[in-house]
Amino acid sequence: MEIRLHGRGGQGGVTCAKILAAVYARLGKSVQTFGDYAGERSGAPVRAYTRVSDEPITNRNKVYQPDHLLVLDLSLLGDDTVAGLAPGGTLLLNSPEGPEAFAAKFGAFRVATVDATGIARKHRIGTRSVVIVNTTIAGAFVKALGIGLGVLEETYRGLGLSSNFQAAKDAYESVRVAEAGSPAGTRRAVGAGGAMEGARPAPPPATAKEVVPLQEHVEGPTTGLRTGNWRTQTPRYVENLAPCNAWCPAGNDVVGFVQALGRDGEIAASAVLGRSTPFGGVCGRVCPAPCMEGCNRREYDGSVNIRGIERWIADKAPVARLAAAAVKPKRVAVVGGGPAGLAAAWTLALEGHRVAVLEGEPELGGVLRTGIPTYRLPREVLDREVEAILALGVEARCGQFLDRESVARLAADYDAVVLATGLQKLQSLDVPGARLAGVEQGIHFLHRVNMRGKAVLSGHVVVLGGGNTAMDCARSALRCGAARVTVVYRRTRAEMPAIPEEIEEAGHEGVEFVFQAAPIGFEGDGRVSAVEVAEVEMGPPDASGRRRPVVTDRKRRIECDWVLMALGQSADLGLLPAGWTIRDGRCFGDGRPLNVWAAGDLATGDGTVTHAIGSGRRAAGLALRELGEAVEVFSRPDRARAVPATDIRLDHFARADAARDITVPPAVRLSGFAEVSAGIEGRTEAHRCFSCGHCTSCDTCLVYCPEGIIRRTKGGYDVDYSYCKGCGICVTECPRKAIEMSAS
Amino acid sequence: MTQELISANHAAAVAAVLAGRANRKARGFGGGAYPITPQTECIEYLCKQTIEKGHIIRVESEHSAMAACMGFSLAGARAFTASSSNGLAYMTENVFAAAFYRLPIVMMAVNRTLGPPWNIWVDHGDTLALRDAGWIHLYCEDNQEVLDSILLGYRLAEDRRVLLPVLVCQDAFVLSHTMMMTEVPPQERVDAFLPPLDLPHRVTDRPRTVGGLDFPHESEVHRRQQQEAMQASFAVFEECREAFRAAFGRETPEAIVPYRLDDADVVLVSMGTTASTVKAAVDEARLRGVRAGGLRIRLFRPFPEEAIVRALAGKKRVGILDRDLCPGLGGILWAEMRALAGRDAVVQNYMVGLGGGDIRPIHVRQILDDLLAREKSGAPVFKEVGA
Repeated sequence: MEIRLHGRGGQGGVTCAKILAAVYARLGKSVQTFGDYAGERSGAPVRAYTRVSDEPITNRNKVYQPDHLLVLDLSLLGDDTVAGLAPGGTLLLNSPEGPEAFAAKFGAFRVATVDATGIARKHRIGTRSVVIVNTTIAGAFVKALGIGLGVLEETYRGLGLSSNFQAAKDAYESVRVAEAGSPAGTRRAVGAGGAMEGARPAPPPATAKEVVPLQEHVEGPTTGLRTGNWRTQTPRYVENLAPCNAWCPAGNDVVGFVQALGRDGEIAASAVLGRSTPFGGVCGRVCPAPCMEGCNRREYDGSVNIRGIERWIADKAPVARLAAAAVKPKRVAVVGGGPAGLAAAWTLALEGHRVAVLEGEPELGGVLRTGIPTYRLPREVLDREVEAILALGVEARCGQFLDRESVARLAADYDAVVLATGLQKLQSLDVPGARLAGVEQGIHFLHRVNMRGKAVLSGHVVVLGGGNTAMDCARSALRCGAARVTVVYRRTRAEMPAIPEEIEEAGHEGVEFVFQAAPIGFEGDGRVSAVEVAEVEMGPPDASGRRRPVVTDRKRRIECDWVLMALGQSADLGLLPAGWTIRDGRCFGDGRPLNVWAAGDLATGDGTVTHAIGSGRRAAGLALRELGEAVEVFSRPDRARAVPATDIRLDHFARADAARDITVPPAVRLSGFAEVSAGIEGRTEAHRCFSCGHCTSCDTCLVYCPEGIIRRTKGGYDVDYSYCKGCGICVTECPRKAIEMSAS
Repeated sequence: MTQELISANHAAAVAAVLAGRANRKARGFGGGAYPITPQTECIEYLCKQTIEKGHIIRVESEHSAMAACMGFSLAGARAFTASSSNGLAYMTENVFAAAFYRLPIVMMAVNRTLGPPWNIWVDHGDTLALRDAGWIHLYCEDNQEVLDSILLGYRLAEDRRVLLPVLVCQDAFVLSHTMMMTEVPPQERVDAFLPPLDLPHRVTDRPRTVGGLDFPHESEVHRRQQQEAMQASFAVFEECREAFRAAFGRETPEAIVPYRLDDADVVLVSMGTTASTVKAAVDEARLRGVRAGGLRIRLFRPFPEEAIVRALAGKKRVGILDRDLCPGLGGILWAEMRALAGRDAVVQNYMVGLGGGDIRPIHVRQILDDLLAREKSGAPVFKEVGA
């Protein structure tokens, strides 16, 4: 008995033939099974064969006149598929339809059908796109040939396929058979060896195909084989979300500007960066760089130094964007000249609208000016970027803090108002001695340092807190005359919210740290002389995911001359007129939406410049859309959609250490407020970028394509789909997930 | 003995592992592994096994695979590798070296067409190009014979009268990827059949040079010794078959395998799986009254000239089916054999199934008809079978 299978590469036809052979071997027959080889790529038509005999089998020819035939993929069914099949022989088809649907064309055969694909999918055999039907359809064949279920079960166990047996059993029980319309043809006796042909109509002889002379084989990349019906999946070039882009709260096209720098230089990179932020120079210095946390290079050999790259671009090629002309310019008031307010003003002005920024301090910049010390952010950098915003026609009104009445008036006078007043309420300590002289808010100290020149401190300064404000206080204190600075933090170093490099640099400058200590009181006679702290144990994680500090009764004193509190800030909603509330970034008055939006820390409380920029851009967009403008409103991408590191072919990339920022030696930098970091030394760091999800025209797909049918085009590649077999090698080999397979 | 439904590639690997483990009380087992279609399944299986005192090195080329085998073998380990086609071509320098070093390495070769243009199907030209390398060549007809020849090969190679490497050849896909029930002997029987290897010239911790300089007077002796070992191996081959029967309770074929030959007038000679198809054609011809017979050459080196002369004595027509081509000459098997038939016999060469076409009984019948119609020998005939 001879059986032939027709399937596609990936469906497991060869294994199916082996299962059938194993079933008959278990029944004591001689068996032989093999497949056709060479075209065994995914989706290619594949044939496989099984011979069964009572005597030893010596015939090793392919099966040209099968007694039974299995078709695993109905798209392969045709006259050439059934060629040679004995009249009355079983024709088992993988089809949800009954055998009667095939009676008209294949009535001479004993047609059997089973929905093997449906059953295999139900049992989750294979993948979503390629369902593997071999172990299922074998069950149907065994039933059609009248063999018992017990033998099938034993066979599956013997082959280690027990997990697929239930699917085979479902097929066994659901196969439908229609006996041949004509009397069953004379069966060839089950015999040994290769009987001569001629007992049945012979298949058409192999026609002499035209053969290209040997010396002409060298023309063209390879012997062209048209796809025909081989392919079940097709590769497509795609752009996937890079994790840096997904992680950036400001909405920067990070992979875009990094790649542009490496490929085309600073000017091109600056044009990309300038699409989403007016603060490249600022963020290139003070951003906590969430993008670098998301970077797929992080666990490989260290994140790309994106912050350093952003600074390099912004400093080397500051971008000067021009405002578009709006058809009907809107009038918008922005309350608060910090990064959120300025980002909102910038977004609005670029669209051609008239913006007034109202700022209580004498100059724009908000916390960038009042809070961040100049050794981290030189004022000329800030001024340059603020001026570029004003150059778009933004009006600045500084020097007067608003009250709730004036906010209400603005809403009436302007088409829209964006409130971006930041976090004005400072966290204080309600403990004995909190009002002693020498105990003050760190923010106030930094304001004095930044806005009035140098503030003077002396002796031992204790800073309470672990965020960036605490680091700024500690390092500024060293520059303002403190002999010694100690940072006291409730949790451990790993949980400090400050930028890691800031903590590291503070340490280099001589700042000392006391961890797991909470202030419980201050001592002193009129003026503070010591902080009393209690030891803290780390409890289970709280809502933020950080372990909750548990204050113990083990106390100690830290003698000191000054205390700076940097314990956090929160939004001051006292500015909102009576009855106003903020919901999802918009103000509501007595439940009705107003033409007022909130941005930055007032809306989100995230507390970083980059969050403020994203929030400001979003508030501006929401306001404009509400005013009937056709604008795209920025929203943060879904991080879950970003290309994971597991999709990057790491062996494509040589390991290389990240370029670190060059810093001035601690002894030199403590003498004043000059900038500590000089940034990176060159733009080569951009070449470390994996370019996750973004094609770089690296030619890997072209090189690996076994058909040689991927060609370069302007800006990318073309696949000649008339020859593509859907093998997926280009997708597997792409280093950066910029090609994907989809069902044809 | 267990019966397993495995491909001949797996059968070869199973045999190598059994032979390797049988040397665990001596210097163990080793080899170099480098994949090539259609041999890859064999090497993959081998690399997945845990073998006591065994080590398979994943090397960067076939040349290195044989170099690794030579190192293992010189150190007294039982060595194995497998290759095919252009892989063998690349390995060639070290294939010669292994024989000159007189190392009892066994290599499985899957016969595959040499390229370019690339073709992965069966053709014997790749191993026949190693005809003069000083290896013993065995060509197999079925799955069981592949497994058995590996085991037999080690016993033959390691005999002190022989000490030559053995090449076990099998047809691409028709054998290598075809699964049939195969008897796998238990380890104890293999242990008994293959005693621990005690290579007389193995390296020890005493430094020595291997393969130094040969002056003409030395080379002429060394070359003669290779020939003497080859001649000696005929008798040892028979002893090994006897020992095989004793150990495993079944036969392994002789150096040449006749089929309905005794009373035949017309004989078709072939190697590998072609011989199976010849049997079917012979059976069919006999039904038509044609006294046809078949002869398969299993042992190609050393060439069993005397046995062939005896087998072909008195035969009137001899057709030699080559699945290979020596351009400018004809079939290699034919070139070796054409003088071995009787003086008056018609000896005709047919190149058939080059590049892996499916040689079917109908093609052999056409060859037989052509041969029967001939009054005298002619130039080699290319019998093209299409796909």
